[in-house]
Amino acid sequence: MSSKINGHVSPQPCPHLLVFRSRNGPKPFRALQDCIRVKPPGGRAAIRREPTEVPRCGTCEESSRSRLYACVACAAVFCHAPLLHSHASDHSLSIPGHEIAVDVDRAELFCCACGDQVYDRDFDAAVVLAQTVNATATTSTSGSTAMQCSVAGSQPENLRKRRRVDYRPWEPDSGEHISRGNQSIPLLDAANASLVSSTQQPWGLRGLNNLGNTCFMNSILQALLHTPPLRNYFLGDRHNRYYCQQKNGAINGTKNSRLCLACDMDALFSAVFSGDRTPYSPAKFLYSWWQHAANLASYEQQDAHEFFISMLEGIHEKVEKDKRKSQSPAGSGDCCIAHRVFSGILRSDVMCMVCGFTSTTYDPCVDISLDLEPNQGGSGKSSSAKSLNSFNVEADCMRPNQNCGISTLKGCLERFTRAEKLGSDQKLFCQKCQVRQESLKQMSIRKLPLVSCFHVKRFEHSSIRKMSRKVDRYLQFPFSLDMAPYLSSSILRSRFGNRIFPFDGDEQDASNDLSTEFELFAVVTHSGRLDAGHYVTYLRLSNQWYKCDDAWITQVNESIVRAAQGYMMFYVQKVLYYKESENQGTS
Amino acid sequence: MKHSVNRPPTPDAAEDQGKEPPLQEIINVKLIESGEKERLMELLRERLIDCGWKDEMKALCRAHVKKKGRNNVTVDDLVHLITPKGRASVPDSVKAELLQRIRTFLMSAAL
Repeated sequence: MSSKINGHVSPQPCPHLLVFRSRNGPKPFRALQDCIRVKPPGGRAAIRREPTEVPRCGTCEESSRSRLYACVACAAVFCHAPLLHSHASDHSLSIPGHEIAVDVDRAELFCCACGDQVYDRDFDAAVVLAQTVNATATTSTSGSTAMQCSVAGSQPENLRKRRRVDYRPWEPDSGEHISRGNQSIPLLDAANASLVSSTQQPWGLRGLNNLGNTCFMNSILQALLHTPPLRNYFLGDRHNRYYCQQKNGAINGTKNSRLCLACDMDALFSAVFSGDRTPYSPAKFLYSWWQHAANLASYEQQDAHEFFISMLEGIHEKVEKDKRKSQSPAGSGDCCIAHRVFSGILRSDVMCMVCGFTSTTYDPCVDISLDLEPNQGGSGKSSSAKSLNSFNVEADCMRPNQNCGISTLKGCLERFTRAEKLGSDQKLFCQKCQVRQESLKQMSIRKLPLVSCFHVKRFEHSSIRKMSRKVDRYLQFPFSLDMAPYLSSSILRSRFGNRIFPFDGDEQDASNDLSTEFELFAVVTHSGRLDAGHYVTYLRLSNQWYKCDDAWITQVNESIVRAAQGYMMFYVQKVLYYKESENQGTS
Repeated sequence: MKHSVNRPPTPDAAEDQGKEPPLQEIINVKLIESGEKERLMELLRERLIDCGWKDEMKALCRAHVKKKGRNNVTVDDLVHLITPKGRASVPDSVKAELLQRIRTFLMSAAL
């Protein structure tokens, strides 16, 4: 009964709507367009003939009915309460062609004969235009082009056609022939085939020795070694460390060899996927990273998340230096493999509470840091100091759909994308009012990355009280995650109500090409105190879970993983995740 | 008195029959004209979201749609379904707050 456009279900019109449209020319709702009134803040759209009109049922004269509909054909207003009486239905039955009406308080089309809401693309476009054109302007950061909402007349079916390249089977060139001959190890040796298949562990599982409080590094490296697009990139020889070092004048491994974290990653991948099961010491990698992040170079324990960010920056920096001009817009991920894999785009809408003016900005991000929900359930309202940022603190305790106060990743994401009233001490400058006003802020995800990394803010640093503490509260996380409700398109839809969105096609193609479903493949956990703790990574390979505790790798049951205290969770797009079969030896 | 539905609305009809508009009507018009109704609606929406009422109603609707099938449910069905439950489950504090607001408004608007 409904067709899909751009992946969104578009409802089919009812027969009455079809007849109405066919009888009333190309713009059957033209007259209504002038009657759309939008009231800031909140931007609700209503239908009024005059701005001060008090709509009233033509039959019973009552204006206090909860549902009033204006007939689109004759503009007469009627009430609709199917249990008591429906003067709107009476009207539609008495005059054929007058079945279609519009809800005067919600600006939504209704078929009185079917008793159901109906949708018309042009009408919904006009409503959304009225809601956005006066109250919204868009700005963007990082030098990318200004994003305009093109609404009227845009054709969502008109997607940009991608240039297709003919398929040619790959042949190694001369350089690759040589390196292949010298350095490669057969994956499946005919002689060792039985040996390989009998070792239960999948490829690429190798312990990493702790070089002195380096579990923060080992845990992240294990996750990255099994990040599917990253693994494929390096194992597919997309960054060859020999060519790279040659290009950069590092000959014979002299001390002046140029720093390249990507080369070190390449070496790490080669070592870990070599088939050798003895624990590996990533000393060279550690040394290179120390050179890159000099302020963190010590044998003290570091934050794994900080290491993760610094590593991605390190890979990016090196590549940036090579390129003369970086033409790629921020967030597109064209600059380096790190961003190609992890970079997404966040959208931030800030709405002035006084005039309704909304300013939208887009920022790239390589991960999403989530706050754990404040006190729930049993412990009462002791942390009400947090209510500045979350006016729902009390409400959270009362919400019926929270299971016994367990925090979930989805709950955190919901809070992340919730519209948040910024406190009166956080007034933001409104371009329209030209003064700082109280604002409403809402985050959403404009473009999903290939791999979503969620970082749980477990370490609280208070500069006021000069102390830090760790939040040990358990967070439940799913093995499969659908990110659709947190996308900008979904958040916008919930803001504007039940509409067909004509400018869906304007939303970046990438978010429509790839699905929104993600699969968990790595979890970095932290146990212990802030200053004396230990990081462990759980990896999901061939649908088995493995615990990577520095040099020790063991297979574990998934219930262990579910119960673990997640600090960073890595999810990959489902289409890129292989649920391999149990038998690996067969080919 | 039943009005014939084929006749266009006649604003004079009420006066012809000597009927006074009911008090509810007068109050409603005053609320709308002053813009207070809009403000009250926004406040009510906020309160009903905060206490989880909206989520409850949404869940009820979802369950119903799941049972009946997405293409077999109309808006009227859903309104019929949640109206009694919805009216009954509005928290007393919300009712009290809104009544107080309306009372205050009426006192200030009384001429």
